[in-house]
Amino acid sequence: MAAPTAEKVQEIREVTRIERIGAHSHIRGLGLDDALEARQVSQGMVGQVKARKAAGVILEIIKDGKIAGRGILIAGQPGTGKTAIAMGMAQALGTDTPFTSIAGSEIFSLEMSKTEALTQAFRKSIGVRIKEETEIIEGEIVEVQIDRPATGTGAKVGKLTLKTTEMETIYQLGQKMIESLTKEKAQAGDIVTIDKATGKITKLGRSFTRARDYDAMGAQTKFVQCPEGELQKRKEVVHTVTLHEIDVINSRTQGFLALFSGDTGEIKSEVREQINSKVAEWREEGKAEIVPGVLFIDEVHMLDIECFSFLNRALESDMAPILIMATNRGITRIRGTQYTSPHGIPIDLLDRLVIISTSPYEEKEIKQILRIRCEEEDVEMSDDALTVLTRIGMETSLRYAIQLITASSLVCRKRKGSEVDVEDIKRVYSLFLDESRSTQFLKEYQQEFMFNEMVPDEMETS
Amino acid sequence: MADIWLGKLQSAQKTCLIQDGRRKIHFTFPDATEMAEEYDTKTNDLIVRKWRKKGTLGGAGRWEMEIGEQSVPINLEVEGLMESSLNPIFVRKDTKTHFQWRIRNLPYPIDTYKVAAKPEERQIVISTTNKKYYKKFNIPDLDRCQVQIDQSAIEFAHANNTLIISYKKPPQIVDMEKRFQQELKKMKASNDGDVDCTPS
Repeated sequence: MAAPTAEKVQEIREVTRIERIGAHSHIRGLGLDDALEARQVSQGMVGQVKARKAAGVILEIIKDGKIAGRGILIAGQPGTGKTAIAMGMAQALGTDTPFTSIAGSEIFSLEMSKTEALTQAFRKSIGVRIKEETEIIEGEIVEVQIDRPATGTGAKVGKLTLKTTEMETIYQLGQKMIESLTKEKAQAGDIVTIDKATGKITKLGRSFTRARDYDAMGAQTKFVQCPEGELQKRKEVVHTVTLHEIDVINSRTQGFLALFSGDTGEIKSEVREQINSKVAEWREEGKAEIVPGVLFIDEVHMLDIECFSFLNRALESDMAPILIMATNRGITRIRGTQYTSPHGIPIDLLDRLVIISTSPYEEKEIKQILRIRCEEEDVEMSDDALTVLTRIGMETSLRYAIQLITASSLVCRKRKGSEVDVEDIKRVYSLFLDESRSTQFLKEYQQEFMFNEMVPDEMETS
Repeated sequence: MADIWLGKLQSAQKTCLIQDGRRKIHFTFPDATEMAEEYDTKTNDLIVRKWRKKGTLGGAGRWEMEIGEQSVPINLEVEGLMESSLNPIFVRKDTKTHFQWRIRNLPYPIDTYKVAAKPEERQIVISTTNKKYYKKFNIPDLDRCQVQIDQSAIEFAHANNTLIISYKKPPQIVDMEKRFQQELKKMKASNDGDVDCTPS
């Protein structure tokens, strides 16, 4: 009896946990209190109190929405939580503020020029809140029917029957709609609205006529009346679109002209100017509101001198978002030049930035982070093992220690243990080398690797 | 009032083309709204009238049918969902003397339906006693000429799973359409086929 139940539970977990566990998925916010003081451990954040507080101040500037084009640089050694702070800011801002995250090397592509890629990233980070009339379908679900093809592969076929007090209609569902219906767990008796343009499904509640079936209903279940009149309605909704989205809507070439122009992915500057003036017009008429967002560029030292001079100029525009950059370099060469500069960023750009620095974690903090990661990955670990892992983290790097969590939990599961032990940690520590041990190994056995005979000479001269 | 609409049609930018036995006319109004009409060349019946407005964020919208049926197939994967073909299909198809709507796939007997004019909302409401079908619609032609909706002009019949609703055109509309037809006759239409491109 117990086995089938366990299986069921496993199944349910799979459906709800669609997101996978990423390197920063334990971050839920910046972990600040109302006075912007950083709590030692909160929302997945540990330590870095000063940097987090600074980020909190920046967050207030963004929320205010008045200041455009400020630059912030987060600088610090590898593995000190720079990206985590940026992620925390994104989480704290919520979904309505555009937050674009790119890596410095992402802008180098053959499809479009570097400045075009940067401009697009800039425009993705500015939102426009505007009222728009859209068609929505609002009704009570009578039946959802999703058929898998008998062969097991291929497209699913779906049918949805909706009703109001006056009418009933059957809809055929596309693949995307089937997925979002399953994700929303929509079932017969639910009142839903479907935005026809975006395909977004919103559950309004349960129908009053279903109020009497008490089975498996949470306390927060809301009961609503079945809608009246026609299923399809036109309604004014307020939503946030980014400037980039408006650019794309207006730049698509029509009809046979597309044959000649080709789709290079670049957007003409005339289109952008036109849209800027249009948005300014809306804003004056009170139709739209600008929501300045955040552009986060990770590994910013990968940008070259052209991009930096472009950034200098772009930050001055009043349509610029708040720019946050992160780098782990010290004094190094600016890409595309022979000059060296702090963080690999030209002095004139550095001058326009405020710099937040992160410092290496203390032992206590590393232990805390490892504990949080264990929780996130659902790994049980004994205190001794955690202490050993913390020592490993101190001596090698935090990232290496985090990687060992997953590996050791697998080793532990293979020996049918319930809790990761010191032995498991030792085992994976011997299986996987960290960076310094690997370097050590290479130094010792240098001669036995390929092409070794000609390397040493050249190495010394360069 | 009919004259205002006629004037608007006359001042719009028009392109005319004869193709597949249909005279197709494309109107562009000063506010960038587009209207397309298709007439049968033999009977001069209006077969299609559709509208396209610019979206709020710019970009061309999609054609919305006022008269006639949507001929472009709907791509289910792009749209996300569409009404099943088993549902009642609402199509307007006019005759010379009547505005007419046909609702196919309605199997219920004639005493199920109630068709009522709501002059204050300028709409006609179709409802069913078995709560299977409900539709509110207006008559854009009457709106444009600001003529009131009149319950006594409505007739409806049911046959072959189809509910047919007819509304007798008021005299001023008939008169306006006649005058507009004469106007159209004067327009030069380019014929389908090879485009004239004699090098000078």
